[in-house]
Amino acid sequence: MTTVAPDQVEAPQKGFAGQSIPRKEDKRLVQGQGVFFDDVKRHGMGYVHFVRSPYAHAGIVSIDVSAAEAVEGVYGTLIGEEVAAQTDPFFEMSTPPGSEIRDYALAVGKVRFAGEPVAAVVAETRELARDAAELVEVEYEPLEPVLDAVAAAEPGAPILHDEAGSNVVWSGTFEWGDFDEALAEADRVLRIDRLYFHRFASTPLECAGALVEYDRGTAQWTLHCNHQMPGIGIVWMAPALRVGTDKLRIVTQDIGGGFGNKITLHPYFVALCLLARKLNRPVQWTEWRTDQHTANTHGNERTFLDVEVPVRSDGTMLGFKVRAFDDAGAFPRYEPLGCIIWAQVTPGCYRWRHVKVDFTQTCTNKSPTAPNRGYSRMQQLWFTERVIDVVAHELGLDPVEVRKRNYIRSDEMPYETPNGCVYDSGDYARCLDIALDLVGYDKLEERRKDAESRGKLLGLGIGSTLDSGTNNFGQSKLLNPELQFSGNNEVATVRLDIFGEIVVTLGTTPQGQSHETVAAQVVADLLGVTPDDVHVRAGHDSYWNSHAGFSGTYASQFAVTGLEAVKGATLALADQIRRLAAVILGADGPDDIELEEGMAKRRDMPEAALPFMACGAIINVNNAGLPPELDDVTLNCRYVYRPPFQVPDTERKFGNLTLTYATQIHACVVEVDPETGVYEIVDYAAVDDCGTRIHPQIVEGQVHGATAHALGAATFETFPYDDDGTLLASNFYDYHVPHALDMPPLKTGSIESPSPFNSLGTKGMGEGGGAGIHAVCAALQDALRPVGSPIVTESHNPYHRVWELISDPAASRAGVEVSER
Amino acid sequence: MKVEGTRSYAAPREQVWEVLNDPAEMAGLMPGVESFELLDETHWRAKVKVPLGLGSMRMSIDFEKADSRPPEHARLQAKGKGVGAIMSMETEFDLSEDGAGTAMRWQADVRILGQVASMGQRVIQPIVNQQVESVLGALDRRVSAKAAAAGADAGGPPSPG
Repeated sequence: MTTVAPDQVEAPQKGFAGQSIPRKEDKRLVQGQGVFFDDVKRHGMGYVHFVRSPYAHAGIVSIDVSAAEAVEGVYGTLIGEEVAAQTDPFFEMSTPPGSEIRDYALAVGKVRFAGEPVAAVVAETRELARDAAELVEVEYEPLEPVLDAVAAAEPGAPILHDEAGSNVVWSGTFEWGDFDEALAEADRVLRIDRLYFHRFASTPLECAGALVEYDRGTAQWTLHCNHQMPGIGIVWMAPALRVGTDKLRIVTQDIGGGFGNKITLHPYFVALCLLARKLNRPVQWTEWRTDQHTANTHGNERTFLDVEVPVRSDGTMLGFKVRAFDDAGAFPRYEPLGCIIWAQVTPGCYRWRHVKVDFTQTCTNKSPTAPNRGYSRMQQLWFTERVIDVVAHELGLDPVEVRKRNYIRSDEMPYETPNGCVYDSGDYARCLDIALDLVGYDKLEERRKDAESRGKLLGLGIGSTLDSGTNNFGQSKLLNPELQFSGNNEVATVRLDIFGEIVVTLGTTPQGQSHETVAAQVVADLLGVTPDDVHVRAGHDSYWNSHAGFSGTYASQFAVTGLEAVKGATLALADQIRRLAAVILGADGPDDIELEEGMAKRRDMPEAALPFMACGAIINVNNAGLPPELDDVTLNCRYVYRPPFQVPDTERKFGNLTLTYATQIHACVVEVDPETGVYEIVDYAAVDDCGTRIHPQIVEGQVHGATAHALGAATFETFPYDDDGTLLASNFYDYHVPHALDMPPLKTGSIESPSPFNSLGTKGMGEGGGAGIHAVCAALQDALRPVGSPIVTESHNPYHRVWELISDPAASRAGVEVSER
Repeated sequence: MKVEGTRSYAAPREQVWEVLNDPAEMAGLMPGVESFELLDETHWRAKVKVPLGLGSMRMSIDFEKADSRPPEHARLQAKGKGVGAIMSMETEFDLSEDGAGTAMRWQADVRILGQVASMGQRVIQPIVNQQVESVLGALDRRVSAKAAAAGADAGGPPSPG
């Protein structure tokens, strides 16, 4: 693969792709003219408040809504019994026992996490609905909760879902290569008893919500909302509501952040649909912040047990074996997909080939989990990064050298991983060099001494990660071969209208990813116009034939699926314009027409030019007498992009699960105060390689965001529960999200290794791989060498945890050993 | 959340028992009680205003006398409901003779669930401590007053030792 750094790119290419043009979205957003779902109002609308369980686990003895309904201004209520009568449970993706779980829009019969909605109240104001909700009398019979994923799998644990008879959602073994052979070849074996990746989530500025209208005449619901994966959202909702997907119109416009936790909103939305129908009025629900923390979805918490890593004395890693326990929370709402999505990055950035993973996912009495920026891969990448740093640490080797020894090399790309995924392109070692250069690696020892002279401990850590983008949904078959999902798709339409307007619609639901701008750049270059000439419709509307089955904005894929759809539709439109112009201008054929400056021109005679305005007018309103060969020319072109995927091999659990792999290599320098455990990031570099960049500034913005997100998780953001199952960080006072002042001086770098698997050379990159979490863990472990060499075994390291590592380093080392073979 | 302690009173065990065992007396000792209702011999209900950070929370608390061995041991269960909170408490006390006075060993296990528990972790422990101190302080005064009254009835202050 050729890999180029931007400074080596020859003179700027012709066109707008590759340039950081002003964002088209910003004009309306900075003027406060964005339209978020909460801006949509309807006459007579009611506001919804959900009554939520204070218990993590309890039977529901009775619910009495009469006092709430008696309040003037209250329009009505909904309880679980009505939901159970009027809907079917959401479909479950797992095999038994997980498939037996019955999940409804409201709790039916029992509650399984604190914050679970048990009833809904609708009133003329949001405040009144909230007050009236306090009058709903719910009698509970408390049950013992289970709050740990490993404990939940043990015999005798309290069972959440009696119908399943077990807390296990899914379990299975993944075996690739020959792990026993790797053990035999090894000089040493590293064993780690336990590594733990903690629970946290994203906190979008805009909470979840919807305005839902029901049209009795057409029996159709319209949802103005901020769902970020409407294609799959309606697949969950429609069967539950016992209607076709055509009865659910999903409309989005501006969305204030998603990060994954706006993917599994279907339980709330189904409750809203039932209320809109029951009360015959539009209903509106805006999630409260506390509810967002408590009962929207959290990221997956994962415990890695009995880790074994055969290595050679030089630090070459041969493979790994692990028992992983993933916590799905109370309901598997997007799960068990997390049980396979990690396998997109099974080996991380490394060449080890022998892998054995026992994977179990269980339900616990905590908020359900769902995709969260870096979903399921971030946990696996943290695991691989922890392992390589512990290997280096315990073998007395340099983490930089060990990484370079084990990195997949650029000359091995495309590289097939042990489980059949294909890493398309990249140069990890080079990204690492750039990152190290940015943080002044050559002066590291001097800086250590300097820090020491000030009583501080300085450490360097690296996070090497991949952002795998464009899912092959066929990976779901590796969990349950009966599932009928595979491949992926996205759709765009591009139209030339009467006065020459170029109008683009997307199936995507951007939440800040600048799709209008980036799509306009691609269209402008192909049609020979400027991005200002291209109007990209904001948001998504499933009513107008503008979406495909997997439409949405998630899983780092717009740069591939969205832009390939845009490109496909634009090329089709360009072809039609050329054919039309060739006829009108009397050229030999479409190939003799070129599109430039908003006109279709004859190549041999550029003064013979047809403005797009004329093209649009001819086809739309002045079309008498056109020859039959133009019968199919509508100047309204729809294109569905399907990535080139095969169905994976379900027997071997083998196949290509994603199309592109963006690289992020981060380097972090910390200074720790050994007296208190307080640490500060004093230098930080993030190097990104997402192939060809259409808009470098937007890429940079994503890099900043993913870095902030990861640094927050590393130090501040965690969702702890007390023994009763009460969440202890239900607001921004207790759940600290990093703000500008918490951010370290951030240096960024990039290279471009174009993906060979799509025509634009792009790669999705919005999620990042949580590199900041890994880099901070590594930097702390490095810094603490002089104080007993503790091992960092948890992903979340607040200051008190670091103080514990310093105070009792032996405790952290108790579960780590290296044995000679 | 468990709190426990010991306390001594310069009053005979029966007198302390009387105060502790009379729901109406106890209600009078609790801070923020707005109403009190005796349901039967072993059940009563109080509406209480609990200070909570900047505001306060009204709770309806049902008490049940779960176990009683006069004059030495009693166990009380309480379940309270308020906006955004569910409280349960189990409290026990043992009285023993300490010379002419009385020693009391007490413990309480308080559990709070719901949004208040989630949002108010930082303030709940001090509030529980404050409430307990306030009950115990009132109990001290009530017992001394009773002892003084009893002493007056008997024609003089209780003799020490």
